[in-house]
Amino acid sequence: MTRIACFYVPLFPLAARLRSEPELLAEAAAIVEGNGSAAHILAATRRARKHGIHAGQTLAQARAILPKLIARGRDAECERTAQEALLEAAETFSPRLEEAGDGLVFVDVSGTERHYATELDLAKSAVRAIDAVGLPGRVGVAGSKLAARVAAELPKSPTVVVPGEEELFLAPLPLARLSPALDAATTLSRWGLGSIGDLARLPESEVASRLGDAGRELHHAARGIDPRPLIPRALPPEFREGMELEWPLVAVEPFLFIAAAALDRLMKRMELQGFACKRIEMTLALEPDGWHARAIDLPAPTRDVKTILTLLRLDVEKNPPGAPVAGYTFVAHPDRPRRAQLSLFGPAAVSPEKLATTIARLAAMLGEDRVGQPMTVDGHLPERHAIGTFTPPPPPDLRRTPNRGRGVLAARVFRPPIPVEVITRENGGETQIESIRGEGEIAGSVRVASGPWTIEEGWWRPMPEAREYWDVEMEKGDVYRVYHGGGESGWFVDAALGN
Amino acid sequence: MVAHARQLDTQHPLLLPRKLEIVPVPLPPPPPPRPLLPSLPPALAAKLTSGAELVRSLARQRREEVIPTTFAAVDALLGGGLARGKVTELAGRGARWSMVVATLAAATSMGEAAALVDVGDHLDPQLAEAAGVDLRRLLWVRPKTLKDAVTAAEMLGATGFQFVVLDAGLPPLRGRRLPDAAWVRLARTCETHGCTLLVSSPYALTGTTSEAMLLAHRVRPRWLGSGKSPRVLAGLEMMVRLEKHRRIRPGQSVKVFLAEWSAVVSTAGPAASRRGDAETASHQPARTPALRVAR
Repeated sequence: MTRIACFYVPLFPLAARLRSEPELLAEAAAIVEGNGSAAHILAATRRARKHGIHAGQTLAQARAILPKLIARGRDAECERTAQEALLEAAETFSPRLEEAGDGLVFVDVSGTERHYATELDLAKSAVRAIDAVGLPGRVGVAGSKLAARVAAELPKSPTVVVPGEEELFLAPLPLARLSPALDAATTLSRWGLGSIGDLARLPESEVASRLGDAGRELHHAARGIDPRPLIPRALPPEFREGMELEWPLVAVEPFLFIAAAALDRLMKRMELQGFACKRIEMTLALEPDGWHARAIDLPAPTRDVKTILTLLRLDVEKNPPGAPVAGYTFVAHPDRPRRAQLSLFGPAAVSPEKLATTIARLAAMLGEDRVGQPMTVDGHLPERHAIGTFTPPPPPDLRRTPNRGRGVLAARVFRPPIPVEVITRENGGETQIESIRGEGEIAGSVRVASGPWTIEEGWWRPMPEAREYWDVEMEKGDVYRVYHGGGESGWFVDAALGN
Repeated sequence: MVAHARQLDTQHPLLLPRKLEIVPVPLPPPPPPRPLLPSLPPALAAKLTSGAELVRSLARQRREEVIPTTFAAVDALLGGGLARGKVTELAGRGARWSMVVATLAAATSMGEAAALVDVGDHLDPQLAEAAGVDLRRLLWVRPKTLKDAVTAAEMLGATGFQFVVLDAGLPPLRGRRLPDAAWVRLARTCETHGCTLLVSSPYALTGTTSEAMLLAHRVRPRWLGSGKSPRVLAGLEMMVRLEKHRRIRPGQSVKVFLAEWSAVVSTAGPAASRRGDAETASHQPARTPALRVAR
């Protein structure tokens, strides 16, 4: 038996705006559509409605009643992101859902009996899930989409229609709940029909002969018959949040303040789906026209808003948009967060989620090329190195005994090598290093010099790298590795051996 | 006939399918858990413990663990190695870097994830791998100032890294000297998260916050051969003195010898062959030519 839940957000344009600007909730505000004298009220907050503002009034009429009314235009970006948030809240209950319009989603909840004791519990959880994404939601559960929608539209939410009793549920409700066409509604009203039950009791053939196919469908709806199946939607490949700003922003701090709230919503939505953000794209609408688009690849999937905000700040400071910002859109590309089974008896492992966040923060602080796993590179030049993504293997199940040390003298590599002036003396065809003149500690006469050892790399290239290396002990006892690059390239110190 | 059946239906509503629902029979409550411990032989029962007690004892055991520096004499000075959850400082102009690399090799060989905060950007991955460091378990962070280094170390400790090395590089240190409060905070983070922190710097930085402090000094290079040239570097000798320890009487010194790495690797064979140095030709036939080329 199919059971369908309808997730419904009343006054959707207003609800979407309040989700992005929650401070308007306590104000007398209204959503306006149209320009100039054609501007009219679409929806108003409770405080505005108390003053007599209602949908359909022109803005001039509303302002005449309440001069301090805050008017906001419809924001397509806000509404789209709110709709996505609603869909994602619905997806936490079932993957089979249908997007039926702004603020209206049908979810196939058949087979969820094991998770919820009753359908009322499911509906209450659904209301809480919609509230969690910042929308005032209503939920109705019934056997058909029509009955579920009518149930969700009732002010007392959530409403559950007993299976098989859709007709009984609809019967006492006014006919307007079926949203009949205007001419059909007028005709039905002339017939003296007030409730859905009144229409359902009429013979179907008689209604169809007078009102045509529309009448037949209306009669079916009145009897709780809804032949339309639920058409599931495909999963989105990305998550979006955006808003058109009332006033253009010219400073970074106010923008980041707004961005933090948007990113917070975005990450909550991703958390609902069990995703983390791998890449974030930011598109800024500029004043008077133009766009500024940036993309930030995160070192590892994370949902930490603070980290992403830090990366965003650094990017905006490095690449300013160059004009006032009138709107923004964030697109987050999802990825599965790293998971690992931690060992009880082995060495303590680092939580992958925490590690990803820390690496992202360190990358934001120091630069992406300054955090990662050291990697060896084929070649012969000592300064060669590479840095890769740090993904440590899982720790062993049992703690291992540490390897015995080799007592190796490790060289501190200087990147880049330090240029120095070296005084040499030819003695019987051999070069002897007398002293070194360099900056700081690397200066003085040489007590012992050992070398040269030659390194050649890239002999196939027009300019192969050829170096002659020496180990030198200074008078103070410090040991350095110096090399001569050949020709006019001079002398360099590339490592310290005794520090 | 059909009308008759319908009439029967209305007269006997019990025949309606709704009334034929199967009512699940409630299952009997499960029997109470039977204590197993008293029925076991005493020898076996003595070895069993509860899960909570096991976790507690493992945590206690982990706190008492040490990370060896792999230099037996230095480990003896420290009472076994670097204490878990504590800050150990290695100061002086001795071969600190070699001890850092050796300790990283020990920690990663145990399967621990380690982090190296390398202010001077001095790590040579080739050499570290040859010294035994498992590079897959090492996070290399290269800050430019000491302040960034301390911040990074604190973040890594709080993330759950059980071994973090902060190497401040060579003098003069980059960035301004940090207030003591920064080190106190870092030490508390390590204590809280059980992170072993080794601070290597040319002079003492951590003040009173460190559990132990070693001073590496009196470095003497050892050369093979005599005269001014030609000679071959065999290694370095240095003294390591325990300057401070909260549980061990300080003042003891040990001598440490560090062999020039090519000499060590020459005996390792496979490590040298991994480095793939067939291409380069050394013009100096003496002194383990393949290894010298690989540097």
